[in-house]
Amino acid sequence: MSRIRFDFEDNSAVRLDGVSLSYGKNEDILREVDLTLAQGSFSFLTGSSGAGKSTLLKLMYLALAPGRGDVCLFGRSTRLLKRRDLVGIRRRIGVVFQEFRLLNHLNAFENVALPLRVAGQKLASYQNEVEDLLRWVGLSERIGARPSELSGGEQQRVAIARALINKPDLLIADEPTGNVDPEMSRKILRLFMELNKRFGTTVVIATHDLGIVEEFNRPAYHIQQGRLRARRKGGAT
Amino acid sequence: MKRESPLLPESDAREAALFFVIGALCFLAALAALTTRGTYAAAAAWGDQIEGEVTVILEGTDRRIAAEVTGEIENLAGISQARLLSREEIEDLLAPSFGPGGLPEGLPVPMLIAVQVDMDTADPIPGIEIVLGEFGVAGEVGTHAGFAAHVQNALAVLRLVGFGAVGLLVATAIAVIAFATQAALLARRDIVNVLHLSGAEDRFIAALFARRFWGLATQAGTGGALGALMITALIVFLASSSAGAEAELLPRLSLDIWDILILFSTPVAAGLAARAAARLTVLRALKEVR
Repeated sequence: MSRIRFDFEDNSAVRLDGVSLSYGKNEDILREVDLTLAQGSFSFLTGSSGAGKSTLLKLMYLALAPGRGDVCLFGRSTRLLKRRDLVGIRRRIGVVFQEFRLLNHLNAFENVALPLRVAGQKLASYQNEVEDLLRWVGLSERIGARPSELSGGEQQRVAIARALINKPDLLIADEPTGNVDPEMSRKILRLFMELNKRFGTTVVIATHDLGIVEEFNRPAYHIQQGRLRARRKGGAT
Repeated sequence: MKRESPLLPESDAREAALFFVIGALCFLAALAALTTRGTYAAAAAWGDQIEGEVTVILEGTDRRIAAEVTGEIENLAGISQARLLSREEIEDLLAPSFGPGGLPEGLPVPMLIAVQVDMDTADPIPGIEIVLGEFGVAGEVGTHAGFAAHVQNALAVLRLVGFGAVGLLVATAIAVIAFATQAALLARRDIVNVLHLSGAEDRFIAALFARRFWGLATQAGTGGALGALMITALIVFLASSSAGAEAELLPRLSLDIWDILILFSTPVAAGLAARAAARLTVLRALKEVR
């Protein structure tokens, strides 16, 4: 029998309790995963391709529901929440996808403004904010460009700006440096560090680039065969 | 101030194909409905004409008395017209049996009175028989009752087949529109997902697509209905410019209020079908993600 837990002391941004998940009748892709990310933390999630990094992130940004266990976000269990309540939580989360997922018919400005627009805000109320954010990610000159007119790095920065426009409490990035050169990778990571430092945004980054994990020296978790382990400095788990 | 682009992209080739499918189906459905209605109206009018005509056959009398009898009959209540047929008209009627050479000179031919009966009043036949009695003329009143019964039976079958065919076509059109809408929408699934993950509510996304496909289907449906209107107008023109018997065979299309209603309701029905299909497809797609 499931228990409903009210944890008023919980100040975590993400807490996974015994989470398991499989696709269809296949073997579990995640097995009994326990993870707590404190609010304002900055963490890496590493693992080889197909290890379950993206699946774990999907649970965090509410694209998937766990087969077993519970996903708590901002101290609140999501298991028993109704769909309309999930929207409120989802708006506190910014997601950066490896493949960007920009809408090709919208320009950089409109892609960044998308989360505000779907929340019912009017253009006049967010125009300056969007322009400021695009300036911050170094795209003030590319504001009217469509994704097809932008380089991979520029598209990634638009995707980052879109994830940040809501001033999210939690930023989840799935291989954000997968499609950009090493220099741009470092720029993007520094951007996330600044965000974490300035606004206290909780940041989780999935990456297979262990060099970056070593270089930025932040807590890291390694996922292998569906099991999660804390990663120690030097790569040991 | 900037202008915002629509959240959904401009229509692409898939939607152009959907536009064509909806337009063609609406054209067929509207045309079928109009012509079925027109054909039924023509057949019903023909049936009324047969039922509303009585032939009085006078035997052993001369043309002068027959003319007087005709005048008396025309004065009866429920009779709109009575006309004594000429010998030439009678020969024309008998031509299928006797050939075009006409009747032999000495052959006695009965006098015929064609009587137009007002169907809304009481049965006028007893009145006609009284007139014949008053003039002391032997005669017979033919009501074409047997023939009219056959026509009524044929009309009933025509109505059943016609409305059944239209119903089937409309149901098929709605199903195809719903299916094609669903197929066109699946190609937009990436947009559905991005909007969902950007924090859009399910009903917001569903309304976005429902509006898009409502607009597309009503425009296509209007095109189809206009096509049907043009064909109908052509048939009306042909019918009005043709004085021959073939005009009787053309559907009796009048473009009256019911026809206009059919033309207006066609794009609305297409729009509603596409709108409902789009809404359901989006909501179903969203159910697959959390």
